Amino acid sequence: MKKYSDLEYLKLSKGKKRLYKLQSFFCAIPQKILALFLGLWNIIKGCCLKVRDEALDIYSTFVHGDWKTKVSFLVMGFGCLARGQILRGLLFLLFEVVFIGYMFIAGGYWLSMLPSLGKVGPSEEYNVIFDTYVTTYNDNSFKILLYGVLTIFFIIAFVYTWRLNVKQNKLAEQILSSGKKLRSGKDDLKSLVDDQFHKTLLSLPLIGILVFTVLPIVFMILVAFTNYDGTHDGYYNNLFTWVGLTNFNTMLSWTANTGAGTQSYAATFGEVLSWTLMWAFFATFSNYFLGMFVAMAINKKGIKLKKLWRTILVLTIAIPQFISLLYVSKMFAKNGIINGFLMSMGWIDEALPFWDKASWARITVIIINIWIGIPHLMLIATGILMNIPQDLYESARIDGANAWQQYSKITLPYMLFVTGPYLLTSFTGNMNNFNVIYLLTGGAPTNPAASSAAGTVGYTDLLITWLFKITTGAESQYYLASVVGILVFVVVSLISLVVYNVLPSIKNEEDFQ
Amino acid sequence: MTQNEMNQKTSGPVKQHMGLRASRMLSNSAIYVLLIAISIIWLIPFVCIVLQSFRVESTWQVGYVIPQQWGLDNYRNLFNTDFPRWYVNTFISALATAVLQTIIVLCMSYTLSRFRFKMRKPLMRFMLILGMFPGMLTMIILYRVLKDLGLTQQNSVPGLILVYVASSGMGYYVSKGFFDTIPKSLDEAARVDGATRFQVLKKIILPLSKPIVIYTILTAFMAPWGDFVFARYIAFGSSAGSNVAVGLYNWLNKDQIAKYYTTFCAGGVMVAIPVTVLFMCLQKYYVEGVTGGAVKG
Amino acid sequence: MASVKLTDVKKVYDNKVTAVHDFNLEIADKEFVVFVGPSGCGKSTTLRMIAGLEDISGGTVEIDGVVVNDLQPKDRDIAMVFQNYALYPHMTVYDNIAFSLRLKKMPEDEVYERVTNAAEILGITEYLTRKPRALSGGQRQRVAIGRAMVRNSKVFLMDEPLSNLDAKLRNQMRAEIILLRQKLNTTFVYVTHDQTEAMTLGDRIVIMRDGIIEQVGTPTEVFEMPHNLFVAEFIGAPKMNLMETKLVKEGDKYFVTPFGAKIEVNGAKAEELKGVKAESQEIILGVRPEHIVLANEPGEHAIPCKLEVNEMMGSELHLHVYTEDETRLIVRIPTINLTMEERKELVYGKQLYITFEGKVMHFFKKDGLNLIYG
Repeated sequence: MKKYSDLEYLKLSKGKKRLYKLQSFFCAIPQKILALFLGLWNIIKGCCLKVRDEALDIYSTFVHGDWKTKVSFLVMGFGCLARGQILRGLLFLLFEVVFIGYMFIAGGYWLSMLPSLGKVGPSEEYNVIFDTYVTTYNDNSFKILLYGVLTIFFIIAFVYTWRLNVKQNKLAEQILSSGKKLRSGKDDLKSLVDDQFHKTLLSLPLIGILVFTVLPIVFMILVAFTNYDGTHDGYYNNLFTWVGLTNFNTMLSWTANTGAGTQSYAATFGEVLSWTLMWAFFATFSNYFLGMFVAMAINKKGIKLKKLWRTILVLTIAIPQFISLLYVSKMFAKNGIINGFLMSMGWIDEALPFWDKASWARITVIIINIWIGIPHLMLIATGILMNIPQDLYESARIDGANAWQQYSKITLPYMLFVTGPYLLTSFTGNMNNFNVIYLLTGGAPTNPAASSAAGTVGYTDLLITWLFKITTGAESQYYLASVVGILVFVVVSLISLVVYNVLPSIKNEEDFQ
Repeated sequence: MTQNEMNQKTSGPVKQHMGLRASRMLSNSAIYVLLIAISIIWLIPFVCIVLQSFRVESTWQVGYVIPQQWGLDNYRNLFNTDFPRWYVNTFISALATAVLQTIIVLCMSYTLSRFRFKMRKPLMRFMLILGMFPGMLTMIILYRVLKDLGLTQQNSVPGLILVYVASSGMGYYVSKGFFDTIPKSLDEAARVDGATRFQVLKKIILPLSKPIVIYTILTAFMAPWGDFVFARYIAFGSSAGSNVAVGLYNWLNKDQIAKYYTTFCAGGVMVAIPVTVLFMCLQKYYVEGVTGGAVKG
Repeated sequence: MASVKLTDVKKVYDNKVTAVHDFNLEIADKEFVVFVGPSGCGKSTTLRMIAGLEDISGGTVEIDGVVVNDLQPKDRDIAMVFQNYALYPHMTVYDNIAFSLRLKKMPEDEVYERVTNAAEILGITEYLTRKPRALSGGQRQRVAIGRAMVRNSKVFLMDEPLSNLDAKLRNQMRAEIILLRQKLNTTFVYVTHDQTEAMTLGDRIVIMRDGIIEQVGTPTEVFEMPHNLFVAEFIGAPKMNLMETKLVKEGDKYFVTPFGAKIEVNGAKAEELKGVKAESQEIILGVRPEHIVLANEPGEHAIPCKLEVNEMMGSELHLHVYTEDETRLIVRIPTINLTMEERKELVYGKQLYITFEGKVMHFFKKDGLNLIYG
């Protein structure tokens, strides 16, 4: 492809400019992908180098350190204690004791069971005394997996702390040899509200995220490689176990399965995914442009009662979504108010199938979503519109731009620049917009051909509602839900990555400032 | 050629003025019509809910809006159900969530806005990636863990609060955006003046952050009223452990709807009232938060 | 009331950009030192490292003989005035000034004493109950200074305190800072990009570029004896004229030959050239605009040139002229030296002849260093 210099580019005709931009966009893609892999490679390389450096540092600390340091390699915190940093030393020591204790009492067991996820399932035995069958419960796959993961987390934490302990010793030796004094326990406590205040502030939120988000996500990713479901719950009926990539094979294979439908899983997945993307696209952009339009209408010079109009719309944000969505969904039902009204006016003879036909249902949810989303977008757009410097419009008007040109050359580019990241998050947010779909249609109408052994898949089902249905369905195929979840993650992250890397508008955020 | 130019050519400046005014009048009245239409469309469902909550003659959907017979039967009926229990459940979890979540979000966002430590960028990137996993997946395991702890079904309230609050640190974006707008030199001036980091937060930043604190409290308080997925999973069929969303949802099931439709409307009104009143009072802060958050991304 | 000593101070950011290279400076007790340089030269970074607002990547900072590298700002006993004032918007002027004293748990009556005292000196007593947003720029700046003043700290740091003010107010505040300094009688470190501020305020000036100190000296030293081209150009307005030419030694005498003219170096400069045993060589000649004079007619030491722009500054004229090889020079002439008729003739394209004062020229080697002082 021919590369133009800036001046040559400016001389091209409008059409040629577009063509050139398009060409260079696509020609840049291989480079971008290459850069991505290079970046990945660099990260891996960096990690390897880091590990090597750490190992060398640990080695040299041991070789050059004094006896206090050397003992600290075995007894954590010994160096600190011996050098008078009682608080730190005790904390290190305590952690080591707790860790070793835990590993002996429980951790070792969980870890050893992790490869098998339990050996002995529940068994029924005839009990002579009570003259009945009694079930004895044995291994618990669920707990093994959970605590196994937890134990691995714990081991990582221990290695990190041990490394910290080694570093501490090296640092302390350096400080002492330069003739300075070490920090006392009192200094350490004081620094927690001063120069180390961020650690204090972050500890609580991060523990929460670690336990309630990171751990569950790791657990659920692992579940995708097991056969954990309603009939293999790991304790009460059957143990579950590792199955490798079988679940991914099932989900992504094109052969029809034996479940409810006639379609293969891959085909169903493809259908749901394409509707999810379609939905996210329409839901995001219809709201975006209509919201902007409403905001501009209210903001227009000479319109009175601006506050009233805004308040009416904002009011609808206040009312919990489940009420309005459930109610509106009933309004559009066959015997709902809308149909009732239309029929009583004599405009239609029989009820409109808002929720009963695929295309009707899809269009209706998008329209109702506009109803839900506009107030929000109106607020956002109002804030941004007010921030556009008025002199831009004034100079455009002097240059002879009409209202449409002002909108398309100033307002819209400005909005797109400022809200670029917001658009991305709102797109991915809409992909996972559980509430609107589930409360409005519950996924209906049902797609009879779609296969999902655990219940039905509907034409308005998003990946996320499908996932919910799989877990709550009769067979509770957690492993399949987990596979869907991982695929959702892959799709969302791919979209984000592409948008962030390829679209210049998000990177050049400062262009308009 | 624009209207403007045309007027200029055909007649003098006086007429042009008239033309401008006329065209503005026209477009303005079109906008008024539009705004009135929008207002009606947006308010109709709520007006309908309120009207139907006072309907006595039938508990099932009807094809008209204005009740033939008015009365408070539906509201009275609410007290014969588990609705008061759901209401209390939701209120408690909303209150607790508002307090705890605000503390956590503020800690997180203030730190990420003000401190420059080595792990800051990786941490933010990590949370961004975490956010791409559908949160619903974690429900399965959280349910089983909470069940083992005895915090599900009729005891679901503490469990729910725990779930709402624990991961709330991930939603730091909006308030971080706000903190970023407070000049850093204020922190620095205070530190030079002899304040510790904690004193900077207490004496300088927090007093300046009233809008975002209120925004955070407001959104945290409102979320549990509308939460459906987690609440339903954790209540797991127990009516006593449900919140309003789950309880009212069940009334619209095929086998319940005929009996409970108008009661649902009454319940909806009861739920909407406190939230809406609170929201209207604090609307200003909400608007600030939303607009600021979108610009910052 | 303390000395400040910086030894090999270095600042390297996370992205490996070095903002300050080995910075060495001793600031004496009660001295007023100004850091000056173009934006991005590391002057503010250095100041912030003294304040403790920026981590020190290498070297040591000592205040009063104590290494403060690891001390928090609050423990360094310094006061600082910020460019954007950094007043606490939610507090009244009184509370702003009293903030640091209250953090020290000083009794309220003493706080009152000190705050009102400072307010009186700065003339802001009537605003004490107002919030900062109700004040003008100049008043805010006074409050910021007052906040730093009441603390009686060892070192007084000022980071471009005047750059947000308009020109007139800036001149006034500059004078007030000089007065303030006499009253406070403490060590000052002042950062600015404005060479006028640096020249008028500083006992000593530290001129920086790209994180490196170019020259340290009194205002007179840096003006009259610039060590290199950068300092020569940076100090003085309008800036020094530079031209490539030759230095010629003929017997005992030195000549320069700009644009074909031949001008003798005389006075102290000639002695100094002798002192460093300068030989004939290619040089860059620097002449300040005020040291160019109009010659009335062509001659051996006159350079012919044409007038391009004539800026009337009131008491003086700035003439932008170009020589035959299109080199642009600026000439500064006191208005009083010209008659009305002569002034009227100075229009675009007018043929002029200029020559240089032989005793105030600057000679730089090709690498930019001053031939005599570099």
